[in-house]
Amino acid sequence: MKFCNTKLFCRLAAASAFALATATAAAQPIKIGWLSSLTGPLSSAAIAENEGVKIAVDEINASGGILGRKIELLTRDTAGDPTKAVNFAQQLAFSDKVQFVIGPVNSGEGLAATPVLARAGIPNIVIGAIDELTNYEKYPRAFRVINTNFQWIDTANKYVLDTLKKKKIAVIADTSGYGTSSAKTAIELLEKAGVKPVYSVLIDPNKTDLTDELNKAKAAGAEVIMPWSAATGLLGRLLNARGDMGWNVPVVGHPALMAAQIRKLLNKPQYWDQTYAAGYVSTTYDANGKLPARTQALVDKVRPKLGGGGEIDVLFWWVAMGYDTVKVIEHAIKKAGSTDPAKIQKALEDTQGLEGVYATYTWGPKIRNGFPDSNMAMNAANTFKDGSFNRAPQ
Amino acid sequence: MLTVLVTGLATGMLYAAVALVYNVMFSTSKVLSVTTGHISMLGGVFGAYFISTLGLNWVIGLVGAVLVGAAFGWLTDVLAIRRVLARSDEHLWLLSTLAMATMVQQAVGLWWGTEPKPFPRLIPQEFGAGIWDQKFWLPIGVAVLMAIGLDVFYRRTMYGKLFLAMSEDAFAARARGVSTDKIRVMSYILSGALGGLAGFAAGQLTFAYFALGHILTLNGFIALAVGGLGSNVGAIIGGAGLGLLSALASYWFGGEYQQTIAVGLLMLVLLLKPEGLLGSKKVRPV
Repeated sequence: MKFCNTKLFCRLAAASAFALATATAAAQPIKIGWLSSLTGPLSSAAIAENEGVKIAVDEINASGGILGRKIELLTRDTAGDPTKAVNFAQQLAFSDKVQFVIGPVNSGEGLAATPVLARAGIPNIVIGAIDELTNYEKYPRAFRVINTNFQWIDTANKYVLDTLKKKKIAVIADTSGYGTSSAKTAIELLEKAGVKPVYSVLIDPNKTDLTDELNKAKAAGAEVIMPWSAATGLLGRLLNARGDMGWNVPVVGHPALMAAQIRKLLNKPQYWDQTYAAGYVSTTYDANGKLPARTQALVDKVRPKLGGGGEIDVLFWWVAMGYDTVKVIEHAIKKAGSTDPAKIQKALEDTQGLEGVYATYTWGPKIRNGFPDSNMAMNAANTFKDGSFNRAPQ
Repeated sequence: MLTVLVTGLATGMLYAAVALVYNVMFSTSKVLSVTTGHISMLGGVFGAYFISTLGLNWVIGLVGAVLVGAAFGWLTDVLAIRRVLARSDEHLWLLSTLAMATMVQQAVGLWWGTEPKPFPRLIPQEFGAGIWDQKFWLPIGVAVLMAIGLDVFYRRTMYGKLFLAMSEDAFAARARGVSTDKIRVMSYILSGALGGLAGFAAGQLTFAYFALGHILTLNGFIALAVGGLGSNVGAIIGGAGLGLLSALASYWFGGEYQQTIAVGLLMLVLLLKPEGLLGSKKVRPV
């Protein structure tokens, strides 16, 4: 049986079929998987990031989508569990067939899930800070939006050495994998700058009192304490021990020093004075008490939802980063002209100076960390207001 | 150095209190429940909840924390012990109590949050009192009182004697008309109340933290094994020794060796004196 009687008819049929297929593809939504630990450890960060993600998706869909296609967000709650993160990553990649994955939120989950997504060849927006999560050879389609842990440490070290002009440093970290490796990096960087810490120690994160450790640091002549731990209990005890001893030295280190939970753990509110942590230009008030315009615009947009019309009581950089993850995907699809993974990779590799709310991003063929050092800032921990902070004394 | 010793002693006495709770449960059921540390966790969390969140007087908060502990002790018996002991002589209680401990920890994490929260000051005292701070002396005092109280209970009361009788030989006690099931339930309620009290007393030291249960379960067990299973004096010595050794190990060698040294102590004692420092040797009648 002959289906095409004439050449013209065959061409018309082929053209129609192509047009139909294109129209169908255009009508199909862009599926974005979102691996978020909405419950469990570190859920407060994920919940805030989730607000940013949802606002960006709603905003894009309300304006007609990307290249005429709406976004379909597939949120999966990993509960902070690496096993669940891997299972959901596989489900999103092979069953739901998403075109992008944002997350997971926690670095431990990321270490488990990122290789899975890399094997599936799916573009992955990384929001975990530990350095091992990106590698242009092993995970070519994993592009990091958040800063690296190295940037936190480097920013804090430079503040101590260059701004506070302190050379006698006590490095205190917890015994977790994160604390141990961060302390090692911090000490290496300090030694590279010609400063050997006068005291360094690893402490069990559940240690009930830190007075003895601070006494040793004091006896060693420390002029500044640099803690590297995300354990708010340990940081609260450290600040309490410093306050109870009446030892008036600055504490400079991990962003968890600024967490709202710390304030509640302090014996006295003034124990939070002289505490500075690595933060971001985007969520730092300038001398006139103003935020950068892009941040302020997003603050105004999310205030009804996050602050009930009043003050925002979560760290706003979480919201801004969540918002940017979707905007980065929008940028990549528009630049690539499709959702083809290889073209998306190329589009992101060619991205320079993409202005987001949280940061201005630049990636390259061999660069997967898009957050620039210049967007880092040092904040004063006790200045939390409306989700952002004042700059640490210069 | 004095601070190190007092901190170690306070932490150790919390372990000792948990070891005492183990002893009370073990005396009537021969079960070493994994939920033991979680009872104290509940005491701390609910104490903070009653006083800080609900704004209740600390005495009412204490009573509430003890009642919550007692209720959890009773629930442990109902859900994880009773049916398991009735159906099997094997150590399946290890799994059932582990499951219950995990569930209660998850539930508290979801309700209370996963970050440590402050425990209120109980006695008016300025911060900066150093080694005289109440956060050190409350757990020490409560553990000592618990040990003395239990000793009086075992020696001077009828129910205490029934506990001892069951501890010696549950079958013989039952043959003499003792309602062993009832006594076991009572022991779980008592141990729950004591665990809640210990967690409440140590709240300022540990903060109200959902993940405390497993740490206390492990260290309380080490204290118990070192001191000798069934011996309350042994539990105090084992707990104090463990706390002091951990604090000194951390002070001299760093925190990364703290747990290794604690578990090393357990292994050493088990190798040299398997029954513990004050435990009694079991003699099998032939």
